[in-house]
Amino acid sequence: MNIKNIEEFHPRAQKCAYLFIMPSLIILTVFVFIPLAASFVISLLNINIFMNDISFGGFVNFIKLLSDGRVLNATINSFYFTLLEVPVQIGLALILAMYVARNSRYTKMLRSFYYLPFICSMTAIGIIWSMLLDPNLGFIPYLLKGIGLESVSFLKDPYLAMPTVIAVTAWKGFGYTLTLLTAAILNISASLYEAAEIDGAGAWKKYTHITIPGIFSTLSFCIVTTTISSLQVFDQTYVMTQGGPLRKTETLVQYIYDRGFQTAPYDLGYASAISTYLFLIIVIIIFILRKFILNRGETVNE
Amino acid sequence: MIGKRFLSGLTAAAMSISLLTGCGGTPVSNSADSKAESTQSQQAAGSSAKENEPVTLEFWNVFTGSDGDILREIGDNYNKTNKDNITINMDIMPNDTLQQKLPAAIATNTAPDFVLFGVENLASYVKNDSLEEIDDFWTATGVNKDNYLKNVVDLSHINGKMYGVPMQYNVQYLYWNKDLFKSVGLDPETPPKTMDQLAEFAVKLTDPSKNQYGLVLPTGVTYMQFLWANGGDADDPAGNKNLLKSAENLKTLSWLQDLTVNKKVTPMNVSGSDADALLQAGKVAMYMSGPWQINGLKEQGINFGIAPCVSGSAGAFSPAGGCSFVIPKGTDAAAKQGVYKFMKFWLTDDILKEWSQRNGFPVWSKTLLEDKDIQNDQIIKSISEATGIGRSYNLGYALSSQIDKDVMIPMFEKTITGAATPEKILNEASDAMDKILSTSK
Repeated sequence: MNIKNIEEFHPRAQKCAYLFIMPSLIILTVFVFIPLAASFVISLLNINIFMNDISFGGFVNFIKLLSDGRVLNATINSFYFTLLEVPVQIGLALILAMYVARNSRYTKMLRSFYYLPFICSMTAIGIIWSMLLDPNLGFIPYLLKGIGLESVSFLKDPYLAMPTVIAVTAWKGFGYTLTLLTAAILNISASLYEAAEIDGAGAWKKYTHITIPGIFSTLSFCIVTTTISSLQVFDQTYVMTQGGPLRKTETLVQYIYDRGFQTAPYDLGYASAISTYLFLIIVIIIFILRKFILNRGETVNE
Repeated sequence: MIGKRFLSGLTAAAMSISLLTGCGGTPVSNSADSKAESTQSQQAAGSSAKENEPVTLEFWNVFTGSDGDILREIGDNYNKTNKDNITINMDIMPNDTLQQKLPAAIATNTAPDFVLFGVENLASYVKNDSLEEIDDFWTATGVNKDNYLKNVVDLSHINGKMYGVPMQYNVQYLYWNKDLFKSVGLDPETPPKTMDQLAEFAVKLTDPSKNQYGLVLPTGVTYMQFLWANGGDADDPAGNKNLLKSAENLKTLSWLQDLTVNKKVTPMNVSGSDADALLQAGKVAMYMSGPWQINGLKEQGINFGIAPCVSGSAGAFSPAGGCSFVIPKGTDAAAKQGVYKFMKFWLTDDILKEWSQRNGFPVWSKTLLEDKDIQNDQIIKSISEATGIGRSYNLGYALSSQIDKDVMIPMFEKTITGAATPEKILNEASDAMDKILSTSK
């Protein structure tokens, strides 16, 4: 192969491709890469929101973080949320996807209904659920009273608040997962099922040996993205509980927000240090997930 | 070939441009416009030195209750009647929201021209040099400083410098529902005077079968009056000293937990606004809160009384507070003059009288105290005794809001909900307090 051929192999038109990725590259740079780098830098400074009196503090903020009980509490809460929310959301979507993965008019309608909460804003949904669940004027405690349960205060009880927030999040998000999984299921060739039937496989066998392997790459994608977004949970706790009661729903992002923007002395440096800490946690978890789930998904597909 | 390449390049460029404008265009241009406007008005005022150039003042405050409607009414009235061509643009938001928006707004030079908030917030803003010093207010406007009670005016001073003009002054009262007192055989005209009586009455007034409670103790707030009543305290701002770990405080917390967890006199896990609603619905018999309850209770037709906070072994105290008008750093001179005019308008006896009478706030203007209507006003009479025991807490201390949020509020919340034993709660709170106090150097 001579040089001319290589040039033909990498035609100059490739430069145009850079132009095409430019829109997303600019957006990613402005809204992701620069803020990411900036938060690393800010985490090394003593700086508050008024931006006067800035000094270099080195790793002071990180040392402070290690002995802060609220960071530990928030970390536990974030993991609690993730470990419960991801299985509930994926499981719910998986079960329902089996049912709606048929192209009749009824199942199409169902699919739209399930998707509906996902397109609504979390803020609006959070406010509506807070009102529905309010122990004094809410509709749901009123119904529960009808069957003899005395004033359950879902979002104000230290032990019920987090499960309630998880339930609302799963309810809002499962429609998206469901749509992806349904599409994946519909993509599996019908001939595989026919062949299995001829071999005498039952519904359960078909499910575990054809459907699950067939959608595994989509499923693992869903698990990874849901895990990431669960670790970053903020809107729902901010709207529904503000981290209370007794800080039982204070997640890491909620605490970052509180330190940086809610409570004097509005310590942006410390808030950025916690963000960096959360970033590292997410990076580690993604590596673990890649090793055990994403890679496996690829080998299964091959 | 070239044409194709050119075309694709153009498309990509067009896409990126349209995306960028789609993202950030509107807000940027908006703030730029408003800035241009304000500098224009400043220049106009400066060059022609005319008083009648129109000035629009952005005004943020935290009066979300029924008092906010009255404030808006007074503001609208001012807009219509003032001869200085000033228009006040009022934006009312919950305190939490305001405290989240204001620091960022000041840092980015988009703050309103003046703000009205609780004096407990002053110190941390002053520490960060983000409020205008207004020592020249009295001389510039000709308002007589000596006509106002010194303790009220002093609330807006930090380190001897004035940063706010007082707007109202208040302490917490004990509200009681006379009808509920009567229904359980208590004298409707005798409110509890001591902590023991408060507990005794609260137990009598609690009836779970009717969903009726003797006392409501919302979480998310502090109960300094109980600590003080037994001779305890939280901290000493002057010496940065932690005063939490004391036998007195332990006694108070144990008493409080016994009242809520064992005697179950309060509904659990209610917020401040829930508590307001419960009192207005006649579901709770007693509640400690500020003057802003009076209008709501009148509207709901509740037969209520106002008493001072109860006393303990060391006497009776009530947390005092107030609201002040402040001017964020960066407000231009013309706007500042306009704000002074509105502040002066607020300090006239007519407005202060209207505010006190319609909202039940204590009077703090000396000439107004001699006014006949004020002297004959039933509610203002009953609050004057309750106001006498006011005591300020961590005022002017830059760490005060952090101490409240990270130490005191969680301490009372855990005590009321029975999350741990009083000893453990007090130890945890004391450790948290040490940590915060150690940052003040």
